Parts: sequence; structure tokens; C-alpha cells
Amino acid sequence: MSLKRITKELNDLGRDPPTSCSAGPVGDDLYHWQASIMGPPDSPYAGGVFFLSIHFPTDYPFKPPKISFTTKIYHPNINANGNICLDILKDQWSPALTISKVLLSICSLLTDANPDDPLVPEIAHIYKTDRAKYEATAKEWTKKYAV
Amino acid sequence: MLSEHTIPSDYDDEGDEFIDFESYYSVEDTDLNGFKDDSDFDITSDMNSDDESGSRISFLISTQDSENLGKKSSLSGSEERGLPKLNYNCLTTDQIYKLMLQRMENLQPIFNIPLEDMIILLQRYGWSEERLLEQWTEDMEKVLVASGLRTAKHDKIKRGIKLHPNFMCHICCESGEKETFSLECAHEYCLDCYKHYIQDKLPDGKIITCMNCDLALRNEDIDKIMGDNSSAKLMLSSIKGFIQKHSNHYKWCPFVDCNYVIQVGNISSLSEFPRFHISPYVICDNKHKFCFQCGLESHAPGDCQVADVWVKTAQAESANLNWVLKNTKECPKCGVNIEKNGGCNHMTCKSCAYEFCWICEGCWKDHGGSYYECTRFKKEDKNDNVESKGSLRKYTFYYRLFSEHENSAKLDWNLGQTVEQKVRALQENVGISWIESQFLPESIRALIEGRTTLKWSFPVAFYSDPSHNLTKIFVDNQFLLVNAVEDLSQLLQIKEPKKIMEKKLDFYNKARFVKSRENALIECGRDLLCKGICIPQK
Repeated sequence: MSLKRITKELNDLGRDPPTSCSAGPVGDDLYHWQASIMGPPDSPYAGGVFFLSIHFPTDYPFKPPKISFTTKIYHPNINANGNICLDILKDQWSPALTISKVLLSICSLLTDANPDDPLVPEIAHIYKTDRAKYEATAKEWTKKYAV
Repeated sequence: MLSEHTIPSDYDDEGDEFIDFESYYSVEDTDLNGFKDDSDFDITSDMNSDDESGSRISFLISTQDSENLGKKSSLSGSEERGLPKLNYNCLTTDQIYKLMLQRMENLQPIFNIPLEDMIILLQRYGWSEERLLEQWTEDMEKVLVASGLRTAKHDKIKRGIKLHPNFMCHICCESGEKETFSLECAHEYCLDCYKHYIQDKLPDGKIITCMNCDLALRNEDIDKIMGDNSSAKLMLSSIKGFIQKHSNHYKWCPFVDCNYVIQVGNISSLSEFPRFHISPYVICDNKHKFCFQCGLESHAPGDCQVADVWVKTAQAESANLNWVLKNTKECPKCGVNIEKNGGCNHMTCKSCAYEFCWICEGCWKDHGGSYYECTRFKKEDKNDNVESKGSLRKYTFYYRLFSEHENSAKLDWNLGQTVEQKVRALQENVGISWIESQFLPESIRALIEGRTTLKWSFPVAFYSDPSHNLTKIFVDNQFLLVNAVEDLSQLLQIKEPKKIMEKKLDFYNKARFVKSRENALIECGRDLLCKGICIPQK
């Protein structure tokens, strides 16, 4: 059952691709995808391309996909291992959500970080107290790792 | 429908107090210090006549009147009469749910919405009527929207199951002739997907919403989709969550496979127990005796502190506990051990839903945006873990005794199982009536209780000053109980029904002897604690 749904999502992505992201299977395994997100233009990540890995559980879409960044990124809600703290990837997941919607949510997380629910408190601290420094570091990391 | 502990007339009068928790919290706060108040306790014993064991007596404690007795209870001389007692009910989760439903029916006129919707509202507000009523009077519409009981626009569509000749479900992406379900929001998905979705959500005990929006499914919808009584499971999970959240008032019986819940309405009396060095023991309808304060089995003659320190020390020895201490933190509210295996520092306890910060263990709400203060790690006082070899050896010695009796008690449980067969054999072979054969199960109960007391007397002995005369008396008493227990245990090994009947009087006498030795030991242990000869410390 999950295979049919994943195939449909893949077809939909091919037919009507979202503007700033793309996704598709890594090899023959339809349960393991790679995705890329273009850094939003109004954010310090602009110009960078960030890669993510997506693993579908066998009971997808009833359980959320496991998504993590493979490109290093400086962000209060994304840690050094690329784990993302996003409610819809955890308890707020709904079977009606799709990879396309999730990727768009991650895009907006890049534009608007959520420093009140941080995964990396140090970055969140800088984000709140010294926004310029945060943006400079994020830009630097983007240049270094994502261009 | 209530268990035998409840005095029905009382229940009606005090109906409010059974679910109305918020008011208790304030009582608890002000009443914590048992010494400070005037201790005006009027203790009226209310013998529960249909109690078959006869040992269970419920007492009502009222804090309002009668100064005479209360004054006495604060004097050390007449302690015995002033010992606090606990009034409690033994319930099943089903009964708790039914009580909730009753309350709901009373509330319905205020809300004027269907009962099914009331259930959802109360689920949303953690079965706290007070919170719900408060919010309801503030902004009715907001409550309805937040609970998923209001659709935005599309109220022309009827909720329910429909049959489509050709339907493509957006969840599973299968198409063909399908039964579907949708709420008024018109987010329509096939029945199989809904079944799978609901099945996954049942154990959470939270409101189940449409897969695509916040509109709530009613219990009748759930049952229609699942084709059975699944909503009962959801309600059960919800009630379990409620019990965990209100662990001050409700405690699960800790015995394996026992599903009873003990409910204490007036928890302010609990604070009276520690200063007498006794524990608030309760007995569930399966006759399991446990401590309402710490949730352990009966641990007399030790009080809760002895039991707590002892158990923690015992566990510290095991590698398991070392791991738990290293990798987990206790939920600051309910004490459940939590391992953080990923995600941010905003933790939500699965058990009591308390939200806290992993770093400072403070409440997340108070935290607001100032999370970053938490990068300053609290330096924990390092306990002096290095015990001298001598005290470790002493501990191991006592621990071995403790666990030996624990194992014996476990074996006695097994023996208890065979006793039932013995009773049946007696009835069949010797022609004894059921009532006449009751001395056997009673003896086994006396044996197990004796062993449990014996077991917990070793921690008391361990923490007591060995040079004190009272400690010596305590140890002598221990020895007497050991002998009494072993005697009874030997008697219970007899297998032939005829011989058992011949020794009937022996059973009676030895069981009674165990009981009296046990009480003597408990009193002696309490004396050690009250006089400060036994001081539990890590």
C-alpha cells in the first residue's frame, strides 16, 4: 500500500514540481529518497543548495517519513547531524501531508527559524541576541558547504 | 458499581470531591505541614460491615470539629489513638469512566450540546471540568473550535460513511469502488485508511481528528468506522492518561496484572503519615496491599523513607540503574525516567504530559523565550559514591537477607496457587464445606504478609544504630518472626488432605502467632524510627 502512495507522490512531483525543491529515489529503492532545497532568497541561506535524505517507513503515510539534512547548515532548529526539529515530522504528522508539503515547510523553517523551540540552543541564543552575527555565520556556512 | 470501600451515602454527598481536583491542590498546599495546623482531627470509625477479611476499616477524617481528640493526637503520649487513617476507593478504569459520564450528564444542561461532544470537550481539557467551565464562560466559540467541534464553512456536507463507485483515496492512492468516510469538512478518505489511522491513534487517548484538519471524530464515528467498540479503547487510554496526570489522587495497584486503581479523595490526610513513621497502606479488591504514598508493596516496619533509600541503594548496585542514572532524567513532575534520544530540549513527558526543559528541568511555560539561560548547566553536587568497604559489606549482608525473603515470598505465591487445589481436594475427598476450608488461604496470606514484613525489617535493621538496646530488641523480634514464619511455612507443605484437616487447629494457631509477631515487629520498628535510632541515609 505504501508503495503505491510513494509512487504517486513521485509522479506528482515530476508533473508539478515545487518551485524551490526537488526530490526522488536514490537508487532502485523507492523507500529511500534524496531531496534538495534551494536556500530561500530572503534568507542567509540564499544561493545555497541543501541536500536531504528521506527514509519512508513501511507504514507510510500513517507514520511520518524520516528526513534529515546531509548538507551542513547553521540553523537553530537543525543540529550537526542534520536532524530537524519540526512538529509535522513528529507528533503533528498527518497521513494527509505529502513530501512536497513537508519540503515546503522546511523551506519556510529556513526563512523563519523557531528560536523558542531550539534544537541547538547556542545558535538560538545568537539568533535572539545578535541577529547580524547569526546571519553572517549562516551565510558563511552556506558559502562553505552549500555552494 | 463502586467497590466495597465506598460508603454509598458518603459518595452522594461528596460526589463533587471525587473528580474536582483543582480544589484539592489548594488544600494540599496549605495542609502540607502537619505540625503547623491545629490538628483538629475527628476520627470517626466507620466499620465496613461487608468487608470479609475484617481487617479493613475505613475511617473518616474531618478537619472541622472536635478539638479534644485532635489535641491528643499531637501529644506524643496518646499517639496510638491519633494515628492517621486513609479513606479510599478501589475502582477499575471502567468505573472511573462511568463516574465521568455521570458527571457529564449533570453538566450537560449548562453546555447544551450532545453528550458525544461533551466527551470530546472533556478529553480536550484533560477531564477537568473546572478548566473547561472557566474557558467556556470566557469564550464558548473558541473552546468549540479548539476542540474540533466547529467547521469553518462547509456545513452542508453530512458526516458519515458513503459508498462511491469510483473513488481515488489520496492517502493510499488506491482507486475503485470504495466505502469512504468524511466529516463536515469534506476531507474524504477510504475506510481502510481511516481504520489504519484510528488504530494507530487509539493508544494515545487523545482526540482523533480528521486526517486533514482539526475537526474531531466523535466516539460514534470511530465505532462506525472500526465496526466495533473501539472508542472504548480510546476512552480507556484517555482515562489512563488522566490517572497518570492525577497521580496524587489515583494510584495503580503495583502488582503484576492487577488493573485496580486506588482513589483517595482527601489527600490532605496523607501528609499526616510521615511524622508517625507509618505509611498509608491500601488494599485493592484483589487483596493486594501496597503503600499509597510511594507505590511500593507493604514495606512495614520501614516507613516510606527507609523503603525509598533502601530500594535506591539496591538498584544503584545494578548496572541497569547506573545506565538509567547516566542517560535519563526523572520527569520533574511525575518522576518517570525519561531518555532523550533526539530532538530539541523542549520535552513533553509521555506519562503526565508535563512540558519541561531538558537542561534546567524547569517548566517550559515559565521558560518563555529565555531558553538560553539554560546553556548554563546546573552543577550537581556530586554525591560521595565511594563507600567504604566495610559499610558495603554490611549492606551486602543485609541485602542478601532481604532478597532471600523476597524469593521465599515469591515461592509462597506459587504455593498459594496450589493451595486452591488443596482446598478443592479437601472439599471433594473429605467433604468439607468451602467456608470450613478457608483456613488454608488465610494461612497462606498470613505467611506471605509475614515474609514481606520480615523482608522489610532488614532495611530497618541496616539503618539502625546497632549499639542501642532497642535495636537489639528489634533483632530479637526479627528472630522470633523468622521462626514463626518458618513454622507456618513447613505446615503448609503438607499435601495429604486428611493430614491437613487433622492439623487444622495448628494452622489457625500458627497463622495467628505469625500475625502477632509481625505486629510486634512493626511496632518495634516504628519505635526505632520515631526515636531516631533508625536513620535511613544513602
